[in-house]
Amino acid sequence: MMCNEWETQLNEYVDGTLAAEARALVEAHLAGCAGCREAVVELRALVAGAADLPKRIEPAQDLWTGVANRIGKRETGSGKRWWRGALAAAATLVIGFAVYRLLPPSAAHHRPAGEGWVTLQAEYEQATDELTSVLAAERDRLAPATVALLQRNLAVIDAAIRESRDALARDPENVELRGLVASAAREKVELLRWATRVAT
Amino acid sequence: MTRHLGWLGFVLAVAARSALGQAPADHNRFEARWPLDSDGSVRIVDPAGRIRVIGWDVDSLVVSGRGPGRLAAAGTVGVRKLVVTGRAELEVHVPRGARVWVKSASADIDVVGVDGTLDLNSVAGAIHVVGTPADVTAETMDGPVELAGGSGRARVKTVSGDILLRGASVDLGASTLSGTIVVRAAGWQRGGTGVQRGRFESVTGDVRFDGELGRGGIVELESQSGAIALRVPATTVADFDLVTIGGSITNRLTAATAGRGVLRFSTGAEGGGAQVTARSFKGSISLDAK
Repeated sequence: MMCNEWETQLNEYVDGTLAAEARALVEAHLAGCAGCREAVVELRALVAGAADLPKRIEPAQDLWTGVANRIGKRETGSGKRWWRGALAAAATLVIGFAVYRLLPPSAAHHRPAGEGWVTLQAEYEQATDELTSVLAAERDRLAPATVALLQRNLAVIDAAIRESRDALARDPENVELRGLVASAAREKVELLRWATRVAT
Repeated sequence: MTRHLGWLGFVLAVAARSALGQAPADHNRFEARWPLDSDGSVRIVDPAGRIRVIGWDVDSLVVSGRGPGRLAAAGTVGVRKLVVTGRAELEVHVPRGARVWVKSASADIDVVGVDGTLDLNSVAGAIHVVGTPADVTAETMDGPVELAGGSGRARVKTVSGDILLRGASVDLGASTLSGTIVVRAAGWQRGGTGVQRGRFESVTGDVRFDGELGRGGIVELESQSGAIALRVPATTVADFDLVTIGGSITNRLTAATAGRGVLRFSTGAEGGGAQVTARSFKGSISLDAK
């Protein structure tokens, strides 16, 4: 186990930001401390791993193909906590990105009716359920004021979704309404994604 | 001799400290300076208090501030990280072209005169940017956001905070759940091109766009229940596509009239103009000449 009092120096040692004297002190300490030597190995692996991360992660080619098939052929044209937190963040990112791609704003108004729309709604439900579960698990990490704000705004967005869905039920072929329902759903997913990110 | 001078300095420092009184524990003072590349990256974490970032024409990073919190820093001339534990008020001077990343919980974030990329995150703090950064991403749950001056690209998101975007920006995106969005887009008068791409969406808040559209620009406005107000120059050449399901549409820009919540018309010759789309579930939509 790493000595707590050496934490900052070890980080800076690995980052290469220590002056020569400080570096020598750290090396002297490392010579006699197995725990700190292990910590340095882990920190170096972390830095190397982070450096190897791609600058941008593109979804797999078949992801968008599947999505496109479901929503129709029309192109958009214009368009222990650490691990749990990391996994939640990764899941959130993937879900958020997938839903964002599922509901491109400029295409929402023109999306054709039918199976694609039903599938989209199901995937939205799934995304919100998954994010809600992650958030529930991490809720204690949010400040009470943030939880209150979140609940208030979830109520607002739920009311908006309910209202526009009711209207859509009365007028199911209205593509404008469908677009507004999709937008509201996207807003909810974005809100949950954000809250989850803050919590983790 | 050097040794004597060293002792003299030490004694003077102790005397000065005694004379001034020890700084109270809740008023730690920070003062530090490092060299930083002109396009270097600065990452700042300050949970509470205030963060003011100022761009200057010097390739150095200078931090000053105070607070009960403690400041730690690490990095190189290419990237430097400043982390406050606790609460602090920081003033950070960065090279004008720096990339600045700030994360706070409740601290307000002010950025002035930085031309690089800004990535600003807060949970409850306000975000205020003055200048012409190339790219801005600003997200806060509860605080307001104001960008003044203009940027190449800006993406702003709040949950309940109001958003105000002023200046000559090219590519703008703003979204809020219950806040309002106001866009005052300067265009050709300020040497800009008008908004080339804009998307502004709110669930319950009002959305107001007041300014010049870029030639061929695309502007989309959407609100579930808030009002949408558009005010553009009378000479604007654009295709307008306005739809509200349960609200009303008022057009004072042209003589075109809405029928059953839909108003679609073009000004000027067909093609080459901007495209303006507004959608609302039950809010009103108004179109006026400025």
